[in-house]
Amino acid sequence: MKDQKSPVPTIKLLQNVAFVSALFAVLLCVLIIVNFIQLKRADPLNTAAMNTLIERLKSNPDDDQLRSEIRTLDLLARKAFFTNQWQVRAGGYLLFISILLVIASLKTIDFLRKKLPDEPSARADNFWEKRKINRKWVAFSGGVLVVTSLILVVFTHNDLGKNLDDAAFSRSASADSTKTQSDNDQPRAGQQDSLQIAAPSGTDSSSKTAPVALEGYPSWQEIISNFTTFRGPGSIGIAFQKNIPTSWDGKSGKNIRWKTEIPLPGFNSPVVWNDRIFLSGANESKREVYGIDINTGKILWRTEVEKIPGSPSKAPSVHKETGQSAPTLTTDGRRVYAIFANGDLIALDMDGNKVWDKNLGVPVNHYGHSSSLIMYHDLLIIQYDQRNSAAIMALSGKTGETIWKTNRNVKVSWASPSLINTGKRSEIILAAEPYVAGYNPVNGKELWKFDCISGEVGPSIAYADGVVFSVNEYSKLAAVQIGETPKLLWEDTEYLSDVPSPVATDKYLFLVTSYGTMVCYDAKAGTKYWEHEFGNATYASPMLVEGKIYLLDKRGVMNIVKADKDFSLIGESALGEGSFCTPAFANGHLFIRGDKNLYCIGK
Amino acid sequence: MLILLAVQAMNALAVQRFPKPEFESGYVQPETLLPSPRTEILAVMDVFVLLASLSIVTWLVLKKRSRNGVFWMSLFSMIYFGFYREGCVCSIGSIQNITLALFDHAYVIPLTVMVFFILPLLFSLFFGRVFCAGVCPFGALQDLVAFRPQRLGSRLNAVLGLIPYLYLGLAVLYAATGTDFIICRYDPFVGIFRFNASFGMLLFAATLLVSGIFIARPYCRFLCPYGVLLNWTSRFSKRHLTITPSECIQCRLCENSCPYDAIDVPTPAKNPDSTRTRVKKLMLISLLIPVLIVACGWTGSRLHETLAGVSSKVQLAKEILAPVSGAAQTESFEIKAFRSSGKTASQAFSEANVILHRFYLGGWLLGGFIGLVFGLLIAGRMLTTFRTGYVPNKGTCFSCARCVDYCPVKS
Repeated sequence: MKDQKSPVPTIKLLQNVAFVSALFAVLLCVLIIVNFIQLKRADPLNTAAMNTLIERLKSNPDDDQLRSEIRTLDLLARKAFFTNQWQVRAGGYLLFISILLVIASLKTIDFLRKKLPDEPSARADNFWEKRKINRKWVAFSGGVLVVTSLILVVFTHNDLGKNLDDAAFSRSASADSTKTQSDNDQPRAGQQDSLQIAAPSGTDSSSKTAPVALEGYPSWQEIISNFTTFRGPGSIGIAFQKNIPTSWDGKSGKNIRWKTEIPLPGFNSPVVWNDRIFLSGANESKREVYGIDINTGKILWRTEVEKIPGSPSKAPSVHKETGQSAPTLTTDGRRVYAIFANGDLIALDMDGNKVWDKNLGVPVNHYGHSSSLIMYHDLLIIQYDQRNSAAIMALSGKTGETIWKTNRNVKVSWASPSLINTGKRSEIILAAEPYVAGYNPVNGKELWKFDCISGEVGPSIAYADGVVFSVNEYSKLAAVQIGETPKLLWEDTEYLSDVPSPVATDKYLFLVTSYGTMVCYDAKAGTKYWEHEFGNATYASPMLVEGKIYLLDKRGVMNIVKADKDFSLIGESALGEGSFCTPAFANGHLFIRGDKNLYCIGK
Repeated sequence: MLILLAVQAMNALAVQRFPKPEFESGYVQPETLLPSPRTEILAVMDVFVLLASLSIVTWLVLKKRSRNGVFWMSLFSMIYFGFYREGCVCSIGSIQNITLALFDHAYVIPLTVMVFFILPLLFSLFFGRVFCAGVCPFGALQDLVAFRPQRLGSRLNAVLGLIPYLYLGLAVLYAATGTDFIICRYDPFVGIFRFNASFGMLLFAATLLVSGIFIARPYCRFLCPYGVLLNWTSRFSKRHLTITPSECIQCRLCENSCPYDAIDVPTPAKNPDSTRTRVKKLMLISLLIPVLIVACGWTGSRLHETLAGVSSKVQLAKEILAPVSGAAQTESFEIKAFRSSGKTASQAFSEANVILHRFYLGGWLLGGFIGLVFGLLIAGRMLTTFRTGYVPNKGTCFSCARCVDYCPVKS
């Protein structure tokens, strides 16, 4: 193409081939572009002819001939559209071939025509000057980039983050106001008159004034009439149930409605939704979730948790008192969620079918992961305080997608998250060395934190009337008035716990040590009202139900005490086997997971 | 790049124009099928071909010093990795898979992708950018059309050479935040390899290839984010391509042989700046680098809303938010899909806020990285390695072996 006087005939031939191919390619390009524009502009089903026919059909819907005409026209329009598409595709192939020919011809010419090196220029560039200019241009480009970015910032920044935050809060608050109104309509059972209840904001509570549930997650009424979480609604050690028995005997069968052997071991507690109880069990080779009939104790389904992508082939090494399935499950009545020591997380429908699963990565935790799950609306909240990468995260209950994740600068913790309502907002409260902290459940933002805890934190917090109580062995018991600037109300180091979590009312705090001493404090002042030594090791957390504290020791003996400033033992009942697990309460029954069996206790 | 990102953001407004026909005959629409993954044996073969190609090109460049050999290998790679493998897996895009795997533990990275990321870097670390020379299908395609390459001035080279760093930073940011794989989205050549390029993609590729006739390998030099990593590793290569097999006789015949401006000329003996001035300048830039990192980091963090605008979750939250703030808006498909998902608006807002927060941190890191790059590039142009002959620049040389043919010294 370049050298017309080339003596080599092959070169000449190739030049001609290249020229013709290039011309053909340009022609094809133009045609393809025109065709493409036509395709872009075409709206085959929205032509004047078609619209007229459709209008006519509307006024005369029984005209089959007209209908047939429309169909024919529709088919034609579609055929034309797809033919156009085919033309673009075929043109593309031809274009490709012609360009290939141009390239092949020109490359061959290059090979055939030996090119001499360029003659070096007489004057070499000034090396140092060139480098200087180079430096200046790099610096200049950097300056231009920064200035352009800043201009973009000025024109595009509109506090989107804050706006979204405000919008999220205002939406939550509007749902909250419905709750507050309806809560007033319906006083709650038992001790509720004197308690600040942890209804999460956004949950509507009344069956009188609202539909059964907001779309996608249960109402507060549903939550408190079931037992969906470790330590009850909000995971603060309170159950809103009535007519719970105070005496039974596992050996004689008194008040024992049924007992069922659980196939695999686990220290998780039962959770209940309507007529189903959910538990999990695991050993080093197998992990299972169970759905049990509340009336008969029959295991309705057992689902093996397996083949989760990313799940380790070997179970992590854990302490025998933690096991492979210590975290308690949670349910929102739509699905049930379980997590295991190897990081496997699964959501099952109420019949045990897998909805989604994922592995969160094996938690680096020397005793084994034990933090239980909790729901906020349809968010599954997971406290994942492992070594070096502690975090709290919220996953969509429906899909398992991570909605938010907040990293935490804390040490490994075995405590579980609690969900409380301060009256103004909902908060998730977590405890781990060195602080207790509140998080916005909507977006995971840390709202406050208070340095008051240290060591290997096992007990979860207690909460009542704006005060969070945290405790840990070799650390201290602290009562913290929460808010924008949390403040310490009182602290004590005489009695501490390393496993059982405390429970509080607006007047009293009940603390149980792992060696079986129960202590009652004034919640606001920290004055000790009484202490009682049961004398037996206790891992289960005390539960407050109908003004009574239910405290189960490791032998399986339940001590029932009046939740008052004076000590009064109401009952003492033996299960007949040992237990580490906090009991669950639902439908006037008590559910206790023993070392081997699950018991239903009721009249 | 920002223009491209803006175009992508506008895609949110796109609507489906051609509805599926409604059949009364009982015909059932076929289900949309996803392409099945490549069988394990073929994936292993890809790795084997990659390893073999890298080894052969290394041998051709270092031992045979054969430009023709490199050319035919690049042709083979273009056919195998480009047209047969349809440009995927590619080492350039693998940056994103690696990044995502680092930031999202739930994402399991395929072994093939990992090998495609690591192998070229390893070869580059020891032998220079042999991957670019004859294995990368993108490079091969551009090399084919480099008929009349012109030398760009050092100013243009300096300015345009910054783009790959920015592209790399953005690609890592978007992959780390789980937003998008922008290298793949804006891949100009994959549409050609698959014969299914969209108009925009074809236009982008055509622009690059036509400009590539005069500016050799424009994508490799002024866009390729993987090239940044290869540039870094190649600088440490002990056995890199040399122009002359023995001593440079300074005949200057190779001076204009490199279409990529990747030949370093001999250093003049005398530096016009005194040692004292040079030390002062270096000290100044050393102090300036941290300032640049912080200043650019701050700017990047301020830009987080713009950067996050690409995220579909942020776009959705903005759309939901718009009616709240009173702006009139027609309900889009995205909003309809969101409503049918059963999620709450607060949830969408909080999801978007999490993304925004990630971009805020990412903006700091991206900006800091760019600041560091600027600082180091300026500092690099102050430090001088004394050379007595013409040598390929280990960072920017693609080891294509063109210059070898220009050297009169043959043994």
